[in-house]
Amino acid sequence: MSSYYDLEDLLAEEEPVSVLFRVAADGVGILDPSSEDNNVEQGAKVDLPLWLAQDLFQRQAAFINLPSYFNQRVRKEMQADPGCVDIRSRCPYFYGVGCKLVPLTNDATLGSFLLYTLRGRYKDILCKSHSAAVSSTPKVMQILSREETILFQAGRESMTAFKKWRMEGTRMERAAVLGKKRKPQGEL
Amino acid sequence: MAGQSNPQLSIFTAAEVEFLAEDEQIDIVPNVRMDTLHMICGDYGPFRPQIPVRVPLWLAIALKKRSKCRIQPPDWMSVEKLTQVLEDEREAPREFQPLPFHYVEISRLLFDHARDDITDPYLVRSLLEDIRDVRFHKVESGLETLSGKTHAVKLKNLAAMEVNIVRPFIVRALQCFYKHDNEDLIKQAANELDSQPVASDRVPRRTLRPR
Repeated sequence: MSSYYDLEDLLAEEEPVSVLFRVAADGVGILDPSSEDNNVEQGAKVDLPLWLAQDLFQRQAAFINLPSYFNQRVRKEMQADPGCVDIRSRCPYFYGVGCKLVPLTNDATLGSFLLYTLRGRYKDILCKSHSAAVSSTPKVMQILSREETILFQAGRESMTAFKKWRMEGTRMERAAVLGKKRKPQGEL
Repeated sequence: MAGQSNPQLSIFTAAEVEFLAEDEQIDIVPNVRMDTLHMICGDYGPFRPQIPVRVPLWLAIALKKRSKCRIQPPDWMSVEKLTQVLEDEREAPREFQPLPFHYVEISRLLFDHARDDITDPYLVRSLLEDIRDVRFHKVESGLETLSGKTHAVKLKNLAAMEVNIVRPFIVRALQCFYKHDNEDLIKQAANELDSQPVASDRVPRRTLRPR
């Protein structure tokens, strides 16, 4: 599913997740800021990047806790109105991290929650990407995750390119009234 | 040539699509006497004054620029035809009317270079803009129905430029849905969460617009 050369995939694996050590680990105290000697104790709760957590899980050295942006509160929020939830501030690689966590946690609903989220937000992205203003950055982009931004930009850029092509040269005449500023009502 | 300007998306720019449209054939009425032109793509002519002859659009425009001919606008660019198409377009919210594949670009080129040969240019232009808007709105409302089970999209009678605008978006949207509707991701949820079969009955392709 993921490609070795996919930059987005690599960056998604940098996201921190909280893990619970099942075994004590000697000599890796650097991972746990609260450890006093150079060891991580059994049962210690540590935030690690996803790529490391993945490996530790496969060696059965750690449990992975589901990040807070997949908890019930967020899911309720998503059910209410998927289009308004601010994903970016929670996790810019929401979908990427989610997909990678599915085999690592025992939460069976995670996969369908991701699909539900995507489906709910897709329609919004579709409408706004083709109708967004050319110059300014639309407000909606502030709440999109990285994956959604790519989708949004694809639609927006091709529409902008088309509009530019349509307007270039002598093709469109601008009506004389359009350039004028409207006078305030009071002065008339 | 596809995607020279943007290799990642493998799309044409609008200018590239316009270039492709210049190969379409169009009738001109020359006003000079000239022998047959032997081109790699074929022989055109001989040109005799007032005798219509069929040439590619790029040749027509080159001759027009030198005032050597008059371009005859294609049949579909008449006010009556376009009014009819616009009406049909509005009445059939689920299908596209047949128009030339390069209608956006051809009309654009003719308006650029042969405006004086078009009867009623203002009306024709606004009709064309309306038709394009109506059709694009249909594409958008069709795209709203995309979901996890869509693996391909069928768009009949869609024009080159219209396809080109939505291509990057559709491709990425389908990729996203394909990734997230993966059986590995959904499977565990299906048997315990909800009773509806989530990923079992996959439809190979969805018809966005019926024939």
